Amino acid sequence: MTIYNLYIFDRDGQMLHYAEWVRKKQSGMSRSQVSPVDLREGYLTYCTNKYRLHLFETPSRIKFVLNTDAVATGIKELLHQIYTQVYVEYVVFNPMCPLSKPIESELFAARLDEVVRQSPAYASRPA
Amino acid sequence: MAEEAVFDLIHMEAVSYVFQGEKISEDEAVAKLEHMGFATGYRLVERLTRESGRFKDELDIMKYICKDLWVTVYKKQIDNLRTNHQGVYVLHDNRFRFLSHMAAGKQYLQYAPRYLAFTCGLVRGCLANLGVTCVVTAEVTQLPACKFQIQVQRG
Repeated sequence: MTIYNLYIFDRDGQMLHYAEWVRKKQSGMSRSQVSPVDLREGYLTYCTNKYRLHLFETPSRIKFVLNTDAVATGIKELLHQIYTQVYVEYVVFNPMCPLSKPIESELFAARLDEVVRQSPAYASRPA
Repeated sequence: MAEEAVFDLIHMEAVSYVFQGEKISEDEAVAKLEHMGFATGYRLVERLTRESGRFKDELDIMKYICKDLWVTVYKKQIDNLRTNHQGVYVLHDNRFRFLSHMAAGKQYLQYAPRYLAFTCGLVRGCLANLGVTCVVTAEVTQLPACKFQIQVQRG
């Protein structure tokens, strides 16, 4: 399992943050299977033969989009953790971060990286 | 948890409110926050010490500030208290609540003093009501750590 990259968008679709860990650009590949599952609770995911995209949307309509390989699990919990323990703590409660502007806080970026690297989905990636 | 969040956010808004507008200088804004802190501390300490006995001496009062007051307001104790025994006390907080969500390092360092003014006033207000007249200043070199210096005025 491995985690590729993460986008955070606000309710208007403006990108607030982008982070990547592993990204192999694979353009022009064919999508063999697109299957939204688990539409409740603001969580949505689809899978192609090469990767899986996870979308988590909060009640305030902030969107977290995370790409992983096709077999990664526990990503819904990870996204919820990123929202509550990283975004809320270090953006919402940071007086220096205007909401709905791209996030400039270094502490936020550092904590995000830490949480992703500690997640089982990241740790168990093949060599 | 929720009431702490409200306190954090209202403090955040208080800072941004006094710094709004072009007419006001940095010093004036800081003085306003310090005054708000003073008035808050002056009343707060009356309420907090209603069950405690009288304090033995000045150091006893400082220990009270570092432990009870800090735990009540910031949910943690001061990490280190130093004094030269001539009326200067230095309180080290290695993870000051109002700075802990901002940065770990030097980012936003120039804005950090704004978030310390209220607390300087709070400490000065508490001490004033306990009979200690003093000047309280704060210093940050690396977020989220900071130190508050209390200089007692004699005579």
